[in-house]
Amino acid sequence: MILAATGSGPVIPHYGTGSRCVVENHAFCSSWVSAHWGDTLQPALVQHVELTGIAVGIGFAIAFSAALLAYRRRWLSGPIEGISALLYTIPSLALFQILVPFTGITTTTVEVALVAYTLVMLFPNFVTGLNSVPADALDVARAMGFTRRQTLLRVELPLALPAIVAGLRVAVVSTVSLATVAAFLLPKGLGYPIFLALKEPSPFRTEIYAAGALAVGLALAADLLLVAARRVLAPWAHRGVA
Amino acid sequence: MTSAAVNLHTFLDAIRFIGSNWHLLLDKAAQQLELAGAALGLAMAVVLPLGIALGHLRRGSTVAIAGSIAGRALPVLVLIAAFLTVFGIGFVNNMIALAVLASGPILINSYEGVAHVETNVVDAARASGMTAGEVLRRVELPLALPLLAAGVRVAAVTVVATAPIAAIAGGGGLGDIIVNQAGYGFDGVLGASICAMALSVFAYGVLTVLERAVTPAGLRRLAELEKGNRRRETVPVANIT
Amino acid sequence: MRFARAKLVVVGAVVTAGLVAGLTACGSSGSGGNKPKIVLGTKNFSEEYILGQLYKQALEAKGFTVSYKENIGSTELITAALTSGKINLYPEYTGEIVQDVFHRSSTPGTAQATYALGKKLEQQKGYTLFDATPFSDTNAVVVTKATATKYKLKTIADLNRIPGLKLGGLPECATRFNCLLGLRKEYGLKVKFVPLAGISSYAALDAGTVQTAIGFSTDPVLGPNSKYVVLPDSKYLFGFQNIAPIVSQKLVDAYGSKLADTINSVSALLTTPAMIAMNKAVSIDKQSPQVVAQQFLKSNGLS
Repeated sequence: MILAATGSGPVIPHYGTGSRCVVENHAFCSSWVSAHWGDTLQPALVQHVELTGIAVGIGFAIAFSAALLAYRRRWLSGPIEGISALLYTIPSLALFQILVPFTGITTTTVEVALVAYTLVMLFPNFVTGLNSVPADALDVARAMGFTRRQTLLRVELPLALPAIVAGLRVAVVSTVSLATVAAFLLPKGLGYPIFLALKEPSPFRTEIYAAGALAVGLALAADLLLVAARRVLAPWAHRGVA
Repeated sequence: MTSAAVNLHTFLDAIRFIGSNWHLLLDKAAQQLELAGAALGLAMAVVLPLGIALGHLRRGSTVAIAGSIAGRALPVLVLIAAFLTVFGIGFVNNMIALAVLASGPILINSYEGVAHVETNVVDAARASGMTAGEVLRRVELPLALPLLAAGVRVAAVTVVATAPIAAIAGGGGLGDIIVNQAGYGFDGVLGASICAMALSVFAYGVLTVLERAVTPAGLRRLAELEKGNRRRETVPVANIT
Repeated sequence: MRFARAKLVVVGAVVTAGLVAGLTACGSSGSGGNKPKIVLGTKNFSEEYILGQLYKQALEAKGFTVSYKENIGSTELITAALTSGKINLYPEYTGEIVQDVFHRSSTPGTAQATYALGKKLEQQKGYTLFDATPFSDTNAVVVTKATATKYKLKTIADLNRIPGLKLGGLPECATRFNCLLGLRKEYGLKVKFVPLAGISSYAALDAGTVQTAIGFSTDPVLGPNSKYVVLPDSKYLFGFQNIAPIVSQKLVDAYGSKLADTINSVSALLTTPAMIAMNKAVSIDKQSPQVVAQQFLKSNGLS
């Protein structure tokens, strides 16, 4: 049945009027940001870090294994690079939808797509890094009687580190960017507040700028962290490369 | 129906959609290329001279590098939304957002291409009496061509592949169908997604061929050698969002 | 030889680490118990987010565990999610059920009859409706005040005066009789449709992308001192649209009257003024639906 309002109707609480800034949709309302950090922005940020972290983690594992394989079997790297480059040209919206029949509208779909994109960025850099180990270093290692495994762990990987970090930087920054589009499919990540803000009768500037700034800030912070890591792990390689 | 049968069925529906909606899909693809082309043109017009100038003067490497990192770190969704609040809904805000995206690879590659021309070559040219302008035109630019072309190719593929998302802000293109499941059904969404993928691959192929055509064989070999010698970041990686 | 084995070990370890990360990431679908889990979904606009939060929080306050899937999509998409079992409860509009889920071209002439028909149709498929809210939210044909003055618009049919008339609305409007199709047939509108997938009808009106657009009757921007004008739906094309949550019969059987009472106690409070106030808080004052729902429930003793 259709319910009728009882008595004088429900209690309608005062929800708090938005500040003039918010109601008139000015450029940026810091009061809104501080008021809604906890319920809107922070959860989105945390989800975004999760999405990115998982994608880069899995992508790293796969790309690293593939690079090691391709390093020993040179003929593999061409095809793998070719497939990766092709994967990368697929628009993210399209890739998400193509995966939906297989994995549904779930985090898995998003992660599979994001992992695919990171592979493109990580694999070539890992292979280049391994290939760029100078022949002299390998000779020295052989002369010192290192086993192949010791050579790998003590000479090749450390010398390949700058390229590995370079690949990781590009991968992390790009994944943070790509993960914003995932919000079209799933209500997660920093893209979701932006999609919602765009749908408002008057697209809500503050939310767009705040979520956007967080996404950019996250990407840049991750980039800086990796540069710092490279400084620590491979101090000899710190040249003028940014 | 088993899961595999369901998937096959879904993709067959999508193919059927493509078959019966050729005209619409071509229209949308053309619209998308138009947006991508405008964005690329804008980026090249603004950023190419800047990168070349900085490279020629061998200054401002931080600017160039910062520019390319910024290009990667700015999600296209954020750019589109931000520019929508400034320029309104339609072609312009999307074109500018995509142009910003395209700027990264063009800037870094034009800078590096010109700046990394061997100093002995530049010195020799100067010594033979060329002015700075002539050095730029007749020595640095031709030698920088492989990297320049690569940068433009990466930028172009990036904007073509990224353009679908502009549909949420009135940008048109195949994205119009991909974001509109209510209107076209999932077979339409999947069909348009497959077409978008094909369009990207097509653009990648065409631009790679063009790039090769523009780069004389000798220069190409030289560039590959230099790429092997220098251990810098693998630059020509696009940011497709 | 030794290297081959070592390589295998390294590769295996790295891949395993990746797989473990992946599996834990894919999340645990903690199954357990023999009662079906309550999976509550919502459609893709502001009013639905609020309704979703209201029902979710009210259920949780009564001890139910709710899995919440917000922003699934339009009626067509969320119906697919319902029938495929991905969700088993969501707030739907009675007229939508009759017109868009079951594709009846005409709706009954009263709100009660619409509800009854919707319930009957759903029950034939293994679902049922909880009681309907007092408030009704129908489509509304909206123009800006400036446009109304310029073309002297008093009825929907008057829109034909506008040259190159463009109508904006959610994409699903194009295939619905209680939207574009009916406007063309019943009101004789000669109009080009512009689907708005990511931006609101009002933003498109303000930008001049369209001269008229489809809004909702409970939109807070249509309140007092609005800069828009609603052209009256004299032929009742948009029907009656009270909210009546659709639920799978299995869920009702599993949880009994406690589930029904909890949901209905929320619905009973949703009068038009209450809904508009909440819509205003979210759309204009930019509060979050979660907080607004929480405040409403608290003030009325339901949380």
